[in-house]
Amino acid sequence: MKKLGRLTEYVITVLIILSINFFLPRMMPGDPFLFLSGDQGEQISAYSDEQIRQYKACYGLDQPIFRSYLSYLADLFRGRLGQSLYFNESVGHIVLRRLPWTVFLVCGAILFSTVLGTALGSLSAFYRNRLLDNVLYGFMMFFSEIPAFLIGLFFLFVFAASLGLFPLSGALTSFSPDRSVVQVLKDIIHHAVLPVAALSLTRLGGMYLLVRNIMISIIPKAYMRTARAKGLSRYRIFIRHGLRNALLPLTTRIFMSLGTLVGGAVLVENVFAYPGLGLMISQAVMVHDYPLIQGIFLVITLLVLSANLMSEVLYRVLDPRVKDGEG
Amino acid sequence: MNRFTKNLHYFSPTGKAGLIILSLFFLMAVFSARLTTHPHDVSSGKALMPPCFDHVLGTDDIGVDLWSQLVYGARISLLVGFLTAGISGCFGALVGMFAGYTGGWMDRFFMRIIDGMMVLPDLPVMIVLAAFFGPGLAQVILVLSLFSWVFTARIVRSRVLVIKQKEYVIYARISGAGPVYLMRKHLFPEVLPLVWVSMIRLAGKAIVAEAGLSFLGLGDPTSRSWGLIIYHATRFPGIYYTRFWTWWLLYPFLALSGMVLALAFVCRDLETLADPRMNQKISGGV
Repeated sequence: MKKLGRLTEYVITVLIILSINFFLPRMMPGDPFLFLSGDQGEQISAYSDEQIRQYKACYGLDQPIFRSYLSYLADLFRGRLGQSLYFNESVGHIVLRRLPWTVFLVCGAILFSTVLGTALGSLSAFYRNRLLDNVLYGFMMFFSEIPAFLIGLFFLFVFAASLGLFPLSGALTSFSPDRSVVQVLKDIIHHAVLPVAALSLTRLGGMYLLVRNIMISIIPKAYMRTARAKGLSRYRIFIRHGLRNALLPLTTRIFMSLGTLVGGAVLVENVFAYPGLGLMISQAVMVHDYPLIQGIFLVITLLVLSANLMSEVLYRVLDPRVKDGEG
Repeated sequence: MNRFTKNLHYFSPTGKAGLIILSLFFLMAVFSARLTTHPHDVSSGKALMPPCFDHVLGTDDIGVDLWSQLVYGARISLLVGFLTAGISGCFGALVGMFAGYTGGWMDRFFMRIIDGMMVLPDLPVMIVLAAFFGPGLAQVILVLSLFSWVFTARIVRSRVLVIKQKEYVIYARISGAGPVYLMRKHLFPEVLPLVWVSMIRLAGKAIVAEAGLSFLGLGDPTSRSWGLIIYHATRFPGIYYTRFWTWWLLYPFLALSGMVLALAFVCRDLETLADPRMNQKISGGV
């Protein structure tokens, strides 16, 4: 019963998102046909009224709003996201081309921040109140407060602009054909280091604190002493007996902050001109490309929501005590 | 004032530094006109001048003095931050008290909304909303408030649920106290410190969000907020191949980071002051 409640909650959220997604862009000021006809910002009315009417009919913009809402929903269920007004290409294609880059950034940041946060958090708990702990704690507190895109800018200043260690923008070096797979992979990683690092650094603090606090509460427990008395190695005690406790809260933390992380990724992509969905959506807003904004917004939110839904299933696997009802 | 100085003792060194930085920014915002010699919106020198005696922080691509822009930008950041915090703090506190006190389906209804909004990726929604409301300071504040109240509401609600069970509240209710009296006399004073703290947290979030939106080109184009300066600078072709970024981009970046950090440090100290368990709860929460 309760399970059904959670599911309806998700369905309602999705419906609300779909409706927002449909109505908001239509109420935006500006007109796509003015932008289609001139350079950005200039208003050259190259289209006659007759032509504009024709185009509106072509894109279905002359229909009553309710009719187009229904056909929008019907199209969505068939997997059609519409046609981009500015790029004159199917939105689905554009999104599919850009999505892997964003997913790559987000997953990289999750992986990196979780692994590093866990390691540093355990280390800090182990050396509690010693110099290492204090230094790490201060460092984390400092960096976890700065938003990812400012850290990204900072990295751009230092590592790309001043030192020239990393490329300034993009995800791949263009105009360099005939490269082996390994070289291309290296190139991709080289481009992704700074964005991923910027995204990870803001999340690191939360992960670190979580693991540190859990470990601090676990270390004095009796079973830890027993494990040591049994003569298990320190490493094994830490991983098998200690860190296991952090598994559940860590998963929750990862999924709960996914929305914020994606938001951060949107901004960081704009800092590094990284060709993901975030860069695309800001370009689409600039030219009032309704279907494209809608498509990107929809794909991002639905992905985050389905990840959250998945996390509830994962939860039950990780912790059998969680029965339907608690959640 | 006496109470203030007494409370100051509880502040950590970072919290004190945060307070000092914040008050400097406040002074900057209040005395903008006195602190600047050049206009912040009109060109007053050659384009892209490096920092010199006349233009302390240099000029941007159309020759507008950067120091003036920064000083006036402090106004926008503070205005957005504290107005958003005020609106969403008040609304969130009301909703939280109401939902927590009445319970039942009202509570469930609001919790559904709050839970739904918590998982939503806020920035994409804000981008779409900002694009729809159009660029403008009032719109930005409205959009940010629309998203921020849930944080206050959640904290307040969970606290009200606890207070509601306390004996003195139950006794008051048995003695015939109505809901309005109870909220005003017992619940509100208890949750007030939490509301203040969450409002400062929200102010920080709002300042960051405004900078983010401006950085995407969705801020008020007539204002010169720090995010917008960064936006214009990063859109300048080849900014990193020149030395221009060392003043044009660096100083707004420093101002923004300083403000965010100061707010965060002050907030952390206030959190421990308002509720010593709160920091642990946040960091260790399951």
